[in-house]
Amino acid sequence: MNFNDLKINFIRFILAILIIFFLLLSFGINPLDVTNALFIGSFGSFEKIIRTMLVWVPISLASIALIYTFSSGMWNIGIEGQIIMGAIGATFIARSFLGDNFISPYIQLIMALGFGGFWGFICAILKVKGGVHEIFSGLGLDFVASGIAIYLIIGPWKRKGIASTSGTEIFHESSWIPTVGNLDFPIFLFLIVILVYVFTYFLLSQTSFGLRLKATGINFFATNRFNFSSERYIIYSFIIAGALAGIAGFSQVSGSYHKLVPTISGGFGFLSILLVLICSRNIFLTFIISFLFAALIVGGSQLQIKLDLDHSLVGIIQASFVLSWLILQRVNLEKKILNIFSKVLTK
Amino acid sequence: MKIELKNISKSFGSLEANKEISISIPGGIHALLGENGAGKSTLVKIISGQLNPDKGSILISDKKINLGSPKIAINNGIGMLNQNPLDFANLSVLESFLVGNTQNSFISNHRKTKEKILNLFDNYDIKIDLNEKISSFSIGQRQQIELLRLLYNGVKIIILDEPTSAFSLEQKKMIFDTLNKLTKEDITIIFVSHKLDEVFEICDSGTILKEGKVVYSMNKPFDSDAIFAKMFDDTRTKNKITNIEKRSDKFKLFFDELDMTKHKTFSNESLLDFGTIVGIAGLQGSMNDRLVKNFFSRDFSKSGIFFDNGDYIEKNKLYYMPADRLERGLFEDLTLKEHFALTYSHINKYINWNDIAIYGEKKIQEYDIKANITQKVDQLSGGNQQRLMLSLLPESPGVLLLEQPTRGLDYNSANKMWDIILHRKKNDIAIIFSSTDLDEIWDYSDIIISVSGNTIMNIDSKQNLNKENIARYVSGIID
Repeated sequence: MNFNDLKINFIRFILAILIIFFLLLSFGINPLDVTNALFIGSFGSFEKIIRTMLVWVPISLASIALIYTFSSGMWNIGIEGQIIMGAIGATFIARSFLGDNFISPYIQLIMALGFGGFWGFICAILKVKGGVHEIFSGLGLDFVASGIAIYLIIGPWKRKGIASTSGTEIFHESSWIPTVGNLDFPIFLFLIVILVYVFTYFLLSQTSFGLRLKATGINFFATNRFNFSSERYIIYSFIIAGALAGIAGFSQVSGSYHKLVPTISGGFGFLSILLVLICSRNIFLTFIISFLFAALIVGGSQLQIKLDLDHSLVGIIQASFVLSWLILQRVNLEKKILNIFSKVLTK
Repeated sequence: MKIELKNISKSFGSLEANKEISISIPGGIHALLGENGAGKSTLVKIISGQLNPDKGSILISDKKINLGSPKIAINNGIGMLNQNPLDFANLSVLESFLVGNTQNSFISNHRKTKEKILNLFDNYDIKIDLNEKISSFSIGQRQQIELLRLLYNGVKIIILDEPTSAFSLEQKKMIFDTLNKLTKEDITIIFVSHKLDEVFEICDSGTILKEGKVVYSMNKPFDSDAIFAKMFDDTRTKNKITNIEKRSDKFKLFFDELDMTKHKTFSNESLLDFGTIVGIAGLQGSMNDRLVKNFFSRDFSKSGIFFDNGDYIEKNKLYYMPADRLERGLFEDLTLKEHFALTYSHINKYINWNDIAIYGEKKIQEYDIKANITQKVDQLSGGNQQRLMLSLLPESPGVLLLEQPTRGLDYNSANKMWDIILHRKKNDIAIIFSSTDLDEIWDYSDIIISVSGNTIMNIDSKQNLNKENIARYVSGIID
């Protein structure tokens, strides 16, 4: 990404925030109060920062997963299901004989990768061999995964004595994601995400694999002439995406909830689709915007306490941000503003 | 219905597409003939009101009509049947009639209209269920339905723009039957085509256009020799193939009955020297492009390109260039640089963008591509895109499979293209290309395969042929 793109995105960001401010004003809410509450809610204490991180991790992972599938021209609506399957895979290990062993989280990670990747693979195979559109199969597989999770929670994995949808038994502490010393900071997850970001950046910009993925997304038919098959790269992209979404599921069960709940994905999969759309597959931007979204989600709880505003305001802010961003992208106002700036500066 | 065109002229910039064209059609089926770029489609567009001529007038039944508006043309009873059916595939036949109906008021009397339509279909002996969806019919049937729909809307003059290019023989018969019946109702048909056999079969009169001018007017019975001479003249020869020393290695082409019909067999023993240029001549819509493509994708059961020992030539030695550049050839959202990187993506795991840039700049120079290496390919002109495609083919010797390598290019770009292609002749195993331009086929091929529809009419080396023969073969005529 060149410097000019960054500037344009920055101006677009400011404009989108301004639009949201006006929207809040029209509701009779002071936007500065909201900003303040959100900031305190997400970064006000060390504990809150950790909670923000624990939301940022799955959103980031799901977004990167989608960057792969969008690169190959695929709409991975099945991302939610892939997160849930990852969570189920991790839970399976946490509840097994390994559950009280220190090695459990690492095995969970591998299982989550496998389960999520497999769920993505099904979608890809249906697309490539069966000609099923990935949106339909993805949506279907989301429901199936969600159904499996509910079945396990009220069936085989129910808590002793009661069967409720509130989730499974809390995991043994050895199965929780390791933290540093006395702090609760999930350094292990943090490292994984940073690694995934760096690796993805390198893979997509510096390798033939990344270029071929991108080429597949642009012209499915032309790839044959360059001695590779689009179909194979679609399958690769879905397996990678599924595996990354699986890690997001692992982060949810072993990092946030410490148990499997029916809503384990937290809707982060669908949120990430919006996020990647506004970031147009740009990794730097994804890094920043996913962080903001995480802060917004965690900080939202403060709105109720501090300002007596409903938590649903967070949804409104999120949605209007995405919408204004997309409209601004279309209108291309930033370029004009940038031109005016540069004219003024040169004078 | 009599239609007269008087002194129609139309130019686009410096290009004169129509020059003082005057045609008088008393009725019946009139053929409009000519090669690609002769000015047929411009003239048709003027008649159907899509273009306004610079000069000239059109008279229908000796009455001058206004030009330049499709609506006026329709009101004057001029209708057009396009190459591909322009209908509503998702509607039923009845619905499609109602949608296009200009006569009825907002609330239409369905029963009465239905009766009227049924009568019409009966008159033309076409038996179809009006409630069936259009998409369930064959293309031939759809064109028939379109014809009747035009008729239902009161059309008196019908222009058919190469209507049979996608038809099977039966479908063609169906349409021709309908056309013959139409002429009996005093409906005039203008039949645009370059398939001479069809013209001989059904037309009553005809006009040949060349470079925007009327060069020949004809009436039944047709003098086929004169027509050939007028359509394809031999003045433009530009054989630039310099004699290259004969190469001892051989390859062979094999065409199996399972994959196509053949009139003439190419004996399997006749091996071709490495470096032979094989031109596949055929009209638009014939299988000539498909032959080239299937050689690459190996969609044929047995036909293909082989070494003289009978082995298939390996897939990675087949270098294919499709006719539709952006649809199947290039990646419109990628830069030139990224394209060059893709050509080496099977060798390099990591991309060294600096090396790629140096390599790319060299290729851009060598192939005379007028573009910057960081530009996206959809910003390039057709000629530059075509040369880029050529520059992306591996340098190591292989079989070049070129689908209409100069399609849509102007004279100079086409020449440049061939300079580059001929340059590869001395190293490559073979160069196989398809074209609808007989001059191009004649100028550059060593072996010429003539194709009409799905049939191979003739395969022979150039010495044993002449241009007129090829013109006959691709028109589906065997002497």
